[in-house]
This record gives sequence, structure tokens and C-alpha cells, in this order.
Amino acid sequence: MDSVLKRYLFLIPVAILLGLIVFYPVLRCAGLSFTTHDGLGFGNYARAFGDARLAATLWNTTVFTVFSLVLEIILGLALALCINVSFRGRGIVRAIVLIPWALPPAVMALGWTWIFNDVYGVASDILYRTGLASEKIAWLATPGKAMLSLVIADVWKTTPFVAIILLAGLQSIPKSLYEAAAIDGAGPVRRFFMITLPLLRPHLLLAVLFRGIQAFGVFDLIWVMTRGGPAGSTETISLYIYRIIYGYLNPGYAAALTIIAFLILLAVAVIISILNRRQHELA
Amino acid sequence: MNWFFRAIIVLASAGLIVGCTGEKEATITILISPDHIKGWKAIGEAFSKKYPNLKVNFEAPSSSTDDRQTKYTTCFLAEDAAYDLVYMDIIWVPKFASKGWLEPLDDKFPESARADFLPGDIEGSIYKGKIYRVPMQSDAGMLYFRKDLLEKAKLKPPQTFSELMRACTKLQKKPDLYGYVFQGKQYEGLVCNFLEILWGYGGDVFDSDGKLVINSPEAVKALGWLVDAVRNYQVCPMGVTTYNEEECHRTFQEGHAVFMRNWPYAWSMTQQEGSPVKGKVGIVPMVHAAGKKSAATLGGWGIGISKFSNNKKEAWKFIEFATSAPIQKLLHEREGLIPTRKSLFKDKDILEKSPHYGKLYKVLLGARPRPVHERYTEISDIMQKHLSASLIGDETPRQAARLMAVEIEVALGQK
Amino acid sequence: MNSHKKTTNRILLIVLVALIISYSLAPFLWQVLTSIKPEKEVISIPPTYLPTKVSFENYKKVFMEKPFGWWIFNSVLVAMGATLLALAAGAPAAYALARLRLRGTGVILKLILVGALFPQIVYLLPLFEMVSALGLMNNPLALIIPYAALNVPFVVWILYSFFRQVPGDLEDAALVDGFSRTGILVKIILPVSAPALATTAILVFIFAWNEFLFAFAFMSRKLAYTVPVGIATLSGGSPYVIPWGQIAAAIVITTMPVVIIILALQRRIVQGLTAGSVKG
Repeated sequence: MDSVLKRYLFLIPVAILLGLIVFYPVLRCAGLSFTTHDGLGFGNYARAFGDARLAATLWNTTVFTVFSLVLEIILGLALALCINVSFRGRGIVRAIVLIPWALPPAVMALGWTWIFNDVYGVASDILYRTGLASEKIAWLATPGKAMLSLVIADVWKTTPFVAIILLAGLQSIPKSLYEAAAIDGAGPVRRFFMITLPLLRPHLLLAVLFRGIQAFGVFDLIWVMTRGGPAGSTETISLYIYRIIYGYLNPGYAAALTIIAFLILLAVAVIISILNRRQHELA
Repeated sequence: MNWFFRAIIVLASAGLIVGCTGEKEATITILISPDHIKGWKAIGEAFSKKYPNLKVNFEAPSSSTDDRQTKYTTCFLAEDAAYDLVYMDIIWVPKFASKGWLEPLDDKFPESARADFLPGDIEGSIYKGKIYRVPMQSDAGMLYFRKDLLEKAKLKPPQTFSELMRACTKLQKKPDLYGYVFQGKQYEGLVCNFLEILWGYGGDVFDSDGKLVINSPEAVKALGWLVDAVRNYQVCPMGVTTYNEEECHRTFQEGHAVFMRNWPYAWSMTQQEGSPVKGKVGIVPMVHAAGKKSAATLGGWGIGISKFSNNKKEAWKFIEFATSAPIQKLLHEREGLIPTRKSLFKDKDILEKSPHYGKLYKVLLGARPRPVHERYTEISDIMQKHLSASLIGDETPRQAARLMAVEIEVALGQK
Repeated sequence: MNSHKKTTNRILLIVLVALIISYSLAPFLWQVLTSIKPEKEVISIPPTYLPTKVSFENYKKVFMEKPFGWWIFNSVLVAMGATLLALAAGAPAAYALARLRLRGTGVILKLILVGALFPQIVYLLPLFEMVSALGLMNNPLALIIPYAALNVPFVVWILYSFFRQVPGDLEDAALVDGFSRTGILVKIILPVSAPALATTAILVFIFAWNEFLFAFAFMSRKLAYTVPVGIATLSGGSPYVIPWGQIAAAIVITTMPVVIIILALQRRIVQGLTAGSVKG
């Protein structure tokens, strides 16, 4: 038999990679966050608590993340269910589904900017021509619509990410379960709620977790499409941190904001994991 | 691929060692935009002909000014010697200089040598009494108009804000023809647009003693005019608050706007073969309030030397060479860039290639740099937010002016 | 009755698939159309939907004036390297955590997840200092290692959740047969988990393929650029002008390798647990 110690050897590559590339910079960042112009101290954190712009960016980030996430999970699940059915040419369709995820985000963001242009954009043109809107809409010009446009662009791009994770999850559900349920007289809807959803839960959790983290750190899309405007209404935490480092040349304060953002995400992750465990125990 | 790079490194270091015995062999590196790379390479070749032991390496990674600023900043923060020369936007100068990342050039570029340069370009290169950059390319905002439409209506090109507004309301035929397009998106361009109007009303951000004076009746009037254009008289497309230069240019070029505020780059494109407005475009300096002077926001680029460079002497040789009149002329000929030397605006060849330079010269002479302040980026971000809020109707111009003043005051109080 | 239902299901499926395809593909098709339009038509207002004249000028410009072949090569190298490294490091860890009943599994998993909670922008400066100090500028390793590290939490978590579903008797039988733990991982767990591996590989590959920030900072020699950085060098002749046609051509060209990789890998997704030796 192998020794217990030997089993831990399997973790070494990950430990090296994460230690070197992730945790070392993060520790440096933590150290930096206590460095201010007047020496070491909590100055950066004290400043953050009075920073209205930080509060606004955190709010914007939360709104963006929640809306994107909800839409992506619903659409991603629907997409995964569709491409899980077997039909001819399924392979090609699966590849096509992934294309939005594969296009470079900064470039697609430029494309979306034109799609949402007021006078000559397709989004405005179609609604106007079909009579759904009485006049052309300047999508990126008002806070609410600008946020909506960003969410749409983000959902379009990242739904495949969710779909493919869920698809792999669907593939690992044994067919025999469905057959047994069918024999018991369960209809498709019932089967979905009795079998698919519960068995898919770990994968849904994965998708929510990683997409949530990505959405919280969104940068490219917003930087290109609105720069955080109008009136700062779409500025997210990543944009703000980027500006503090590279615009205001104040890495110490940026580091403090990074740690704060991290603690918030950590708290959310902990809550999700507690909720998940409770559900698990109930089930 | 690896052996290839290794071979280059070996060759380069061998060259360095050999070079040390006599005149120094060196390659100096500069980060520029890919937009005019061919012209720059030609300059590099000419430079190497004159100084056979020196070579210039042009890195041209991105058209985006922000991307290049990030790259320079990353190198500076890491105290990396990757770039000897710093090709700087005018608003980077105080920021980089205040951090001690740039070499002062006063002994090499004394006042006597600055006389031929446009005054605004020089002013924008100086931080706390020292000069950090030699201007290479000038740029300033101006007002484009549709000559044909104005002539048909028997209107003269406007000179004041109210004339411009009147011409807009009179000539526009929505939705195919709007009165005025400008850069209204929340970004640096919006501040450039606003400053021209603010200056045109006689206001400013800081007064000559460096006191913050943005909360002034002039600022309220200036912003009020812009808000009127967008919201009350509605002479702009609704989405103008999302436009940057390219959206404005496209709208104007396709004949959908009577007036446009933009940089000089748009001129040659409107005059291209196949442009719907070819030969129908005029330019004037930005309008101003009655009894005040017109002012343009100065853009433009210049070359400085990085504190971390190992080839400072050689770097200066290149600056001297590149900013000389014949080379600026060459860059204009090849790439259509605007020179920074006054003498070149009287040059026959240049006027022949660019007949509008007579008018442009007037704009450039009246152009002013944005506030020369080491925290300008923060100041600008605060302004952008409240200007944008005002344009979309979230704040009145009065509120916006007050909030700008308060927030800038707070930000500058933070270390 | 039954066959009637089958037909409606069939039609419903076709409609759905058509919807999905147009939803995913429309913006890409727009790029294709833009790339073959003559320059003037690209920026006309209102836009012309179909090109009046087909022109391959943009493709010529992109390929003749830029070392696009090199950039695609670099991107493939970097993305493949990062994917392999992330899987090679992540799979053993996920296996140990899922199957070997290590003490502190929960804590280790959470610690790994913590590595994913920071915005990427935070890493730029410290990593740049490392890359520059180690002389790794312009070296593909400067991208492969960070990309792999950034994706390792994701890889471990997703593989962990799949490895846990592999029936335990398989492993026990192998142990009786005298397999080592590594042998079990390579010969039994991995083949059975093909869908998870393929899924993870695709997602990591595309992340690396699209990454801009690090690639822009760590690659300064033109021949060392990756595709996204290469696209940023395309110029419309002025900083304010976006070269739409060329960008579209570049996107069309560079999406092809990704589609090929996806097609090759997605076949694996249907195998694994549902096909082959194991039944749940």
C-alpha cells in the first residue's frame, strides 16, 4: 500500500504553480496595501471606507454580475439540453455554439459598440423597423440601458462557457436513470426536475462559481464599450483598480481595493458553499 | 524559435562588447503607435546612416494610447530599462515627470532652442520649471463645417457659441442631418471638448496661481451650452453622449452632420476619393463667447528620455535628429503628421501638400494644454463623470460644476 | 399518434437548433461579410448588409504586411502549452482530492479556489517584474506558466467534481490487479473522464487564445506576439480610426484554428462514462 505522505505528492505541481504565480503576487499585493505615502499603516483602508466611488463601482459590479449570471445559467442550461439531444451534425452545432466564447473579447466589444449605436446600430434599427420602439434608441447613453447592453454582450459571449460545463455534466448522468423513470411513468418535465437538475447540481455550482468570479472581474468589455460611462454608471471594480494603478500611479491604494474586493468575493463564496452543504444534507 | 532569439541576444551582446572599445554601439528602443510605423522606420534608417554605430528599434504594439501608456508605466514601475525613449502624449508629461521617471532635458534643450516650436507644445512639455520632452507632432481640436450647406443658406462660418447653435437649428433636418457632433462619451475626449468651450467662455480649471476655479459662472455657462445642444435644442444625435472621434467622423463623413468638433486627422479622410463630403468641408477655430477668445485643446506627442535607460546620450542624439525641421517635414510628407516647428507652416512643399495648414496654424497658435498637473488623470476622470452626468440629465450644469470642484479638491487632498 | 409526436419533436428540435446557430453565428458571419467588403463600404452609414463587390484586399493586407502566420503559431504554442500544463498539474491534484481521502481535502480545495478570486489586473506588475528579472521576455514560457496557473483552480474543481462520480469499484478492482495510484489515474480515471478533460481543455485553451493583458506586457518582439496582440497592431492610419475590414479578416482567420480544436476535442465529450467500458 502507498503511504499517506505519498498521496500528498499529487498536489505538488498545483502547489508550485499557484504558489509562484498566484499566491506570491497576492501576498505582495497584501503587503503593498499597507504601504502609504507616510509609511506603513491602514491609511489605504481608511481611505477606502470613505470612498464613494468605490461603493458605486462595487454596486455596479454586483448588478452586472447578478444579471449576467442569472441569464447565462438559464440560457446555458437550455443550450446544453438542446445540444445534448442526439441528431445529425451535432458535432458541428456544438462547435458553432462555442464560437462566441472563442472570439477575442476586446474586438467583439468594438463590434457591440456599433451594434448598440443609436442611429446606425442594428439593435436600434431592428426595434424601430418592427415598430417595437417608437423612436431610435441610444442604448449606451443612459445608465440603465448601458448596463443592459453590457449584460447582453456579456451573456452572448459567456453562455457557451456555462453550456459546455453543463453539457459535460449531462453526459455523465447515466441513461438508465431516465429509462427507469420513464417506465415509472414520469414525463419529461418531471424527469428534468427529478433527475437532471439534482444530478447536475455540482456542475451548476461550478458554473455559477467560476462565471461569477469572472463576471466580478470584468474589464475588456466595459473598457471598450462605455469606459465606465455614462456618468460612471457602468464603472466596475476592475476598471477602477486599473485606473488607480495605471492612471493615478497609486499601486498601494489599488492593492487595498483588491484585498477588499477579494474579501467580498470570499464571503460570497463561503455563503454559497454553506447553502450548498445545507441543500446537500437535505437531499 | 528559441535558438533564433538566443542567437540574436549573443550577437547583440557581442556587438556591445566590441563597441565599448571605440564609439559605443547601441540600439535604442522606443514604443510608438503602429499608425505611422513606415515613416518612423524611414527616420530610423536615416539616423543610422548618420550614426552608423546607432540603431533604433521601433516597437509598435498597439494603436490604443491607453495600451501604450500601460506598457510604459509597467516598465517604469518595475524600473525596467526596456525603453530608452519615451514617446509621450502631452498629458503624460507631468505624471511621469513627478514620479522621477524622465530625464530633465534643460541643458540639452535650452530656451534658445525652443523658439521655433509652437508655444503650447513647449508649455505642455514643462513640469515644475523643467522640460522633459521635445515636441514632435502637434494636434489640436477644431470645428469642421459643411461649406456647401452654409453657402446655400447664405451663412458665414460661425464664430460664437450662439451663432453655432443658431446655424445648427436652422440647417439640421433630422433624422438624416444633425446639427452638431462632438465627443460626448465619458472619456478623455469629452474633457478636451469641454475645455474648449470653457476657455471660449473665459473660464479655466486652475487659475494662473494654481487655484482650483472650476466652480465658476463660466463653467456653468459652458456646460450649459453643451447641455442645451444635446437636450434642449437637440441639435446632436441622441447617442452623441456615447460617441468618440470615430463615431463623429463617420457621421460627418457620410453627410449626416453640419458641424463637427474633431482633431485634424479627420481632414484628409473627408477629402479622400469617394468621400461623400469631398470638397464640401471647411475648418475654423472652435467658436467662443462674444468678446472672448477662441481656444483649442492641445494634443500632440513628443519624445523624452527614460530615467532607467542605459543609452541616454545616444537617445538624445535621436531626439535631436528626429525633431529637426527636415525630419519633421519628412514625417509630414510620408505620414501626414503635423509638425511642431513654426517655420514648417510656411514651408512651400508642406503648404502645397496640405493647403489647409494656413488655417490649422492659427488653430495651433491658439491651442492650450490641458491642466499641467501630476494628478491630471484623476482630475480628468472626475470631470468626465460629472460632464457625462450633466449631458444625460442626471445633474444640472450648476450641480456638476460644484461637484467637480468638491471632488477634485478632495482627491488632491489625498496623498 | 406516436409518430406524429415524433415529427413535432423533430420540427421543434430543428427550429431550436436553427435558433441556436443564428444566435451564436450571426455576429461571426457579420465579421465574414465585413472582411470581404471593400474599405469604403465597411464604414458606410447606414451599413450595407451584403457586400456589393467581393474583395480579398483585407486578407492580403493582414497576411502580406503582418507576420500573421507567426502569431497564429505562437498562439497555438502558448495555448496548447498552457492547456497541457494546467491539465497535467490539475488532474493529479483533483484525483488525490477526489479519491484518496486526504485529510484536509475541504480546506485544500477552498485554498485552491481562493487563487481564482483576484482580478487578473493584480498580477500584471508582480509577474512583469518576475518575467523581466528571469529574462523571460518574449519567451512563450512567460505566458504558458501564468495562463496555466490562473486556470488551475478551475481545472482542479471541475475535474474533482467528475472524478468523484467515477464508481469506486473500478478503482478497487484495479488496486487488486496491482495498479499503482498513478497507474489508476492514467489508465482508468482519465479515460473514463474524457468529457470532463475535453471540456476543461477547450475552456482553458480558449482563455489562453484570447488573453491580451499579459501577452501585451510580456511579448515585445513583433515575432513573439500572440494573435490578440497582433490584432491590436492593425492600424487604420490614425489612432482614431479603427481598421474594421482588416480586424474582421484577422478574426475570421484566427477563429479557424479554434474551431478545428473544438471539433477535435468535442468528440471526446460524448465518450467517457456514457460510452465505453463503464456503466453507472
